[in-house]
Amino acid sequence: MIISKTLRSLINFGPIILLYYLSISEIDTHFENFFEILSFNIQLIIIYFWVLKRPEVLGNGHIFFAGLINDVVMGIPLGLSSLTYLAVSLVATYVKNMTVNTRITTDWFTFFIAILFSNLIFYFLIINFSDLSISFVDISYNTFFTLIFFPFFWFIFSFYNSTLLINRYV
Amino acid sequence: MSSSRDDFGIAFRSALLQRGAAQKFSLISLIILAIIIFFLDTYNLKFMNPIRSVINDGIYRVSLVASSPSRFLPNLTEGITNLIGVKNENARLKKELEIYKLKELNVEYLTNQNKNLKKILETDETLFEKNIILSKVLIDKNSPYLKSIIINRGSQSGILKGMPVMDKDFLIGRIVETNYLSSRVLLLNDLNSRIPVTFGKNGVQAILKGNGGTKPVLEYLPEGYIVEEGVDVFTSGKDGIFLPGSPIGITTKNKEVKLFSEPSQLSFVKIDLAKKRKEDF
Repeated sequence: MIISKTLRSLINFGPIILLYYLSISEIDTHFENFFEILSFNIQLIIIYFWVLKRPEVLGNGHIFFAGLINDVVMGIPLGLSSLTYLAVSLVATYVKNMTVNTRITTDWFTFFIAILFSNLIFYFLIINFSDLSISFVDISYNTFFTLIFFPFFWFIFSFYNSTLLINRYV
Repeated sequence: MSSSRDDFGIAFRSALLQRGAAQKFSLISLIILAIIIFFLDTYNLKFMNPIRSVINDGIYRVSLVASSPSRFLPNLTEGITNLIGVKNENARLKKELEIYKLKELNVEYLTNQNKNLKKILETDETLFEKNIILSKVLIDKNSPYLKSIIINRGSQSGILKGMPVMDKDFLIGRIVETNYLSSRVLLLNDLNSRIPVTFGKNGVQAILKGNGGTKPVLEYLPEGYIVEEGVDVFTSGKDGIFLPGSPIGITTKNKEVKLFSEPSQLSFVKIDLAKKRKEDF
């Protein structure tokens, strides 16, 4: 009984655990050894999907802290990733408020707006307010590949959502 | 028209201010908090330094632990390879190759140094005194934007910002952030890296600029200068930070430099504390 309860809560916390783990671990999302320009941001996909589909699973506070951790690990100014993550969360919440039922195509399109918005914030802040310089081309590639990989993760997360996740609030 | 604008306003306001059973914080409050933290950190206010240092040290340690599963798989593969005996042979061959490379580099370095010493050195003798410490690479997360690594030595070990970092005898980058127990090294291929270098028989001066890719490029070359392929590139020491003559890489086409040390394969690095000694004097 206790084991099944623990397992259930562990499954419910899956997206949060994954988000924190990706932010803190040195798992790469830049595969330059395979293809120099291939990089994507799984965190943005996780945030967008779960805020859109089941916001109770991924709290804003967790998104904020995951961003702070990511900033420390990546060596970029504190608060920057938090802002970009929250920007994605804002778009997802807005889309959720405005729509009743969405399909992968609509999710994909609105996700494009979300990552465009968040990556523009990222680029604007880092170029104008920090000593770091980053390449606009790299950000564009990252945005492109994140968008390309979205459906793949959408299906995985949808499967997880529909078959494994137990709704705690029903 | 006005109704759709109202809908937008309501949905947007709701998205920003909404709180519920699982959402303990509204988005707007967290966004404001993130902006405040960003500007406090960006403008490097003094009281932020110790806070950032403690946070960094803590998170780097946790990150090291969290990354252990991702390191397990390569280690396992390496273990199997070791069993078969290929690893030993590979290591022996690598060692031999390294010795030959070093010998070749030493000869070229000495020849170039003799020719250009007076011309390229504006540093004092204390820079030649080496005081090197060994450090382990804690995190080498391969970011799509920034190329840096975290090492397990910080201000406690006497590390200061700007100190050169080497892999064997090859320069790989410099310290850009120090915490009490850890430091961040900006690698040569990072977009923000600029290193004064010298190469060729005439001791041509240039700046090696990271481009975010695997091969940094030579900039600020003499007008009309054509870079030959296969020429070794060394630090010039013009900035007074790096020791002159540290090997960096070899020129390839399009003014690019192939680094001697592969940035993604670093396990242990050496930090040259010579700069600190100079500052102490």
